[in-house]
Amino acid sequence: MAEFGGQMAADSLLTHLLRDAGVAIGGGCLCLAGDCPHCLATVDGVSYVRTCQVTFREGAAVTLHAANGQLPPLESPGERPPVTARTTHCDIVVIGQGPAGRVAATDARSVGAHVVTLDAREGQDVIGVYPGPLVVARTEDGMRHVYPRGEIVVATGASEIQPAVPGNHLRGLVTARAAAELAASGVPLGQVVAVGTPPDGIVCELASGTLVRFEPSSDPTRVGAVVMRDPGGVETRLACDTVSLGLGLTPRDALLRMARGMNVRGVGDVLLPAHVPPCPVEGTVCPCAGVTVADLASVHARGFHELELVKRATLAGTGPCQGAGCVPHIRAFLAAQGAALQPPFTARPVTRQLTIGEVAAGAHHAVTPRTALHEEHVGLGAIMERLGGWWRPWHYGDVDAEYSAVRTGVSICDVSTLGKMQVSGPGALALLEHLYPVPISTLAPGRARYVFLLDERGYVIDDGMVARESDTRFNLTFTSGGATFAEMWVRDWAESLGADVRLMNQTFSLGAINVTGPRAAELLARAGVGAPPAFLHHGQADVAGVPCRIYRLSFTGEVSFELHHAAADSVRLWHALLSLGQDLGIRPHGLKALLKLRLEKGHLIVGQDTDFDSSLRRLGCEWAVRLDKPAFIGRQAVLRTNRLPLDRQLCGFEMDGEQTTSEVVCRTPAEGATIWDGEDLAGVVTSTTWSPTLGKSIMLGWLRLKDGQLPTDVTIDGRTARRVPTPFYDPEGRRARG
Amino acid sequence: MRVVERLNAARIVAIPAAIDAATWPTGALAFRLAPDEVLVTASTPAGVIDDAHAIVERETGFSAVWVDSAQAIDFLERECDWELPRERPAFAQGMVAGLPLKLWFGQDRVLMVVASPCAADLAERLR
Amino acid sequence: MNEFVERAIDLRWPTEVKRAYDVVIIGGGGHGLATAYYLATRHGITNVAVLECSYIGGGNSGRNTTIIRANYGVPEAVRFYQRSVDLYAHLEQETDRALMHKTKGLLWIAHSEAGIRQERARAAVNTACGASTEYVDPGTIREICPQIDLTGNGVWPVYGASYHPAGSTARHDRVVWAYAEGAMRLGVDVFQRTGVTGIRMDRGRVTGVETSDGPIAAGIVLSAVGGHVTTIASMVGLRLPIRTHPLQAFVTNRYAQAFHPIVASSGLGGYASQTAKGEMLIGAEIDRAPSYAYDSGHPFLQHCAFRMMTLLPFLRDLRVLRQWTGVCDMSTDYSPVMGLTGVDGFLVTTGWGTWGFKAIPAGGEQLAALIATGRTPDLIAPFSLDRFARDRTMADRGSAGTH
Repeated sequence: MAEFGGQMAADSLLTHLLRDAGVAIGGGCLCLAGDCPHCLATVDGVSYVRTCQVTFREGAAVTLHAANGQLPPLESPGERPPVTARTTHCDIVVIGQGPAGRVAATDARSVGAHVVTLDAREGQDVIGVYPGPLVVARTEDGMRHVYPRGEIVVATGASEIQPAVPGNHLRGLVTARAAAELAASGVPLGQVVAVGTPPDGIVCELASGTLVRFEPSSDPTRVGAVVMRDPGGVETRLACDTVSLGLGLTPRDALLRMARGMNVRGVGDVLLPAHVPPCPVEGTVCPCAGVTVADLASVHARGFHELELVKRATLAGTGPCQGAGCVPHIRAFLAAQGAALQPPFTARPVTRQLTIGEVAAGAHHAVTPRTALHEEHVGLGAIMERLGGWWRPWHYGDVDAEYSAVRTGVSICDVSTLGKMQVSGPGALALLEHLYPVPISTLAPGRARYVFLLDERGYVIDDGMVARESDTRFNLTFTSGGATFAEMWVRDWAESLGADVRLMNQTFSLGAINVTGPRAAELLARAGVGAPPAFLHHGQADVAGVPCRIYRLSFTGEVSFELHHAAADSVRLWHALLSLGQDLGIRPHGLKALLKLRLEKGHLIVGQDTDFDSSLRRLGCEWAVRLDKPAFIGRQAVLRTNRLPLDRQLCGFEMDGEQTTSEVVCRTPAEGATIWDGEDLAGVVTSTTWSPTLGKSIMLGWLRLKDGQLPTDVTIDGRTARRVPTPFYDPEGRRARG
Repeated sequence: MRVVERLNAARIVAIPAAIDAATWPTGALAFRLAPDEVLVTASTPAGVIDDAHAIVERETGFSAVWVDSAQAIDFLERECDWELPRERPAFAQGMVAGLPLKLWFGQDRVLMVVASPCAADLAERLR
Repeated sequence: MNEFVERAIDLRWPTEVKRAYDVVIIGGGGHGLATAYYLATRHGITNVAVLECSYIGGGNSGRNTTIIRANYGVPEAVRFYQRSVDLYAHLEQETDRALMHKTKGLLWIAHSEAGIRQERARAAVNTACGASTEYVDPGTIREICPQIDLTGNGVWPVYGASYHPAGSTARHDRVVWAYAEGAMRLGVDVFQRTGVTGIRMDRGRVTGVETSDGPIAAGIVLSAVGGHVTTIASMVGLRLPIRTHPLQAFVTNRYAQAFHPIVASSGLGGYASQTAKGEMLIGAEIDRAPSYAYDSGHPFLQHCAFRMMTLLPFLRDLRVLRQWTGVCDMSTDYSPVMGLTGVDGFLVTTGWGTWGFKAIPAGGEQLAALIATGRTPDLIAPFSLDRFARDRTMADRGSAGTH
């Protein structure tokens, strides 16, 4: 990649193949500089490796692509050690260490700059210059990510023009630089004819005139002669073993163009004007894609005049060398048709090739957080699932028993994943009044209530709880999956409104265990809480010696105490509750049971039962908005859309179990099932479950209105279902109040 | 595998001036997470925060591990894309190995602090 | 011989710009050219100019991942895209051009309980609306695509998928050219390197456009641009609920054909297919930050490569050839915006986000019908611009996620 000069430090694989291994390298004009596709091979299982750019290693398995004519197999056999990526921050990065690159690096170092040099000849292939600015290179030892604070110096030199004449697929063709390099490395070249600029240090016959074609020798794959034409049109045939081609230079400026707009400077041959060769008249122009001059003429005659359209219509320039060999000829061809000389293709990464495994180095999967009770769940045999962005217990092996424990006894559930935020300050109340669609000022200290968050369009973005601790201090909860967005939402609005508040996200700081069931209060009493908060209240108390804030709301439909505590105390509290409740039949319940319990209560789950255009009216939750409140986010939109006819609503449905010969079989439609109103598709089921208590399937789903009415009888999964009001279970809510 | 242990700390959100003026128990490290937020590696922060509306909480939601400098630098060179502070001691925070980390650079070792729910992932990525 | 050289399509460029046209279409991409084609072929309207500021198909029409599918999430969208799938299936026959249309089948993988719910709902809604999509279990996934690692490298296990057998690909450029050729053959004028710099209005009605080649009068002006539609709309004082985001993709070198379906994963935020040339073509979700920039990013390449290897471990040793970027006009409800705008004589087809290519035939056909008849066809009525004011948004984020 660097400018030409000197011999490579070690033998390249290609040089070795040509000199020592007796391998018949495929045809085409070899450049030995990584610009052409002619030395591509599968090396140790990786295809499309330029053997001229790889240092020879004893025992390497090499199959030249040109040799077998087949596309390489689509596979990655065997194991490989993971690839690492290393990051460097420096002042200056110099790409290319030929004469100009070396001078640039030396100059920068002389004034004390921290310089990183990347040189393809040292095995550092720069694949791209990215916004950052970031220069990424592939090396044999892994990836390099280099962030220059100052200049990017591109000293990548120039490549030699490939011949575009008949016979350019033959073996025995080399660029002038390659000829010199091969000879210096001891590769026998035989009788050499030089076309154009002759190679340094080689005795050769100079060909004069215009290059016409190459002719094969007795070996039809190998060049035997080069044919030239003089200005008078007379052709001369020069016999040879090797042809050295010095057809001119074209700047290797892809990185320079890619970095346009950044602090970048080219030095040396990369600044050369692009040499425009003579218009090709016959033969292959793009060896990668097998595009001939006839192909160019054919598409041009049919209206493909733009360089980009010619590329797309022929695929010239879309192969491994990305136009390095063919673009000069295509530009020459198009210019010869009378158009202005068109600029080359947009330069895009990757300029040097690397594997997907290499480019992925340094990437990680997004983390799925674990609660402080993770190991407890695993120890109890829980099936863990990613739910709401966390690892959570899906069930502990017996969903029915977990469900029953809540409905008839007492159970605990790890709800540490809830978003939690403390808000304090003189501006806290005003901020929350703005955020929530219900009055907050009427919430007395010690009270808590269930609330929705709306966006400016009046659509639900999250739900949770507001609990007031004092005149100026509140605790908020959000859904597990929505907490990150909700925090951003609250902070953005606090800032926009200039609210005088302190905000602390405590999602990760606090564990939360929900104690629920008809015997929940009994369990709390055993844990030392004789007078727990009343329904929709909260308070501070030690539970089994663990300081907790106890919130009394209910998602399960039974008496529930949500115990928020320092995450470090979670395990102790969990064990204490399980131990104290042993003779009450306590067992923890997972999310699968919880989803059943909440569905019996008709509680929706934001994200599952809602979409991002769900208004409270569509959710059937108009009780959760107070339009007499003068200002809150979404109020204007709610007022406006409430005047429009309703199109669909989230509804409850029930379906009887199916009677077979001997028993009632519960066959509950799957979530996602379609809802039909006669012949019309009327909606989709968002939540379903079999309710053991009610003895039927219960569902939530979206239902379209027809003629302004919601249908009552619908078909789901080919069976009749009834639209019914929710909650399905304990509609008066007596059980949760205890 | 390294043990990333839960930190027994305190976290304070208050007006910046109150945090600027506060003093912390001897030996405790105080990490300024934001102008209005500080994490103190002491179970209860001594000194008074001069802000009636400050939120001062026991904080056990972070976990941490000490790594000696050479190993830490090797790890960070592979897993951190942003530029690290060169002075010592220093505090920095950002994504490292795909995790939001807080880094305390001591003279010869580095404290890596992570939210406890991601502590197992940090331990695994530290290998 | 290179089988990919275009050997039939003949683009007959007009020699001069007329002073007036019945219809001026801004944007010579798939949607603009298809609309012109259907105006000419279905309605006999040929006094039409298509103005392209660069070369035809040079925007998103030539930068997308060529996937054709109808497996959307809301009934109106399924019906619309199914129309497009049907038109695509017969487009080679209609245009008598080799468009390299290939039916591959599309797997949309679920890695979670929420993913299962989403893919089941997709299958159910698709089936109800005439698109064939079924929910399949991991065993069936393995039969359809043996290369998938069902354990997700032990990190993102595969729970199931929706399978859309009609999922297909076609050569994007040839689709654009075939429409251009067909339209021009019937007398439509298509101009390259002709940018629109303004829109002329008279008493609230659009009367023509200003271009880099001078003014052109027009009875109707349709904006079919991608990327800068808000700029065009602002020329008539119209604000659109559109934000433009970059979308990136990359291809590998060519390998022997061995990967038959299209595989998408919302959980991993990416998708992959093998092109007719043998490249593995891999894309991700849109960049989160809005931008008009065509810059290629390294984080995209690094993370997308990493995530897709999780599902398709055979990718590891394949060599990357090129990455590129398009810019997507995202509407606020992740559905397209087609038709009348409230400005007399000015129509739009936009909001094509990440789903523009698959909609080209149906979008062109329906817009042409609207222009020819003055009435909005039922198939696209739900996608009108006024749906935002009427609170009738077509929320379909789950279908837009990746491609």
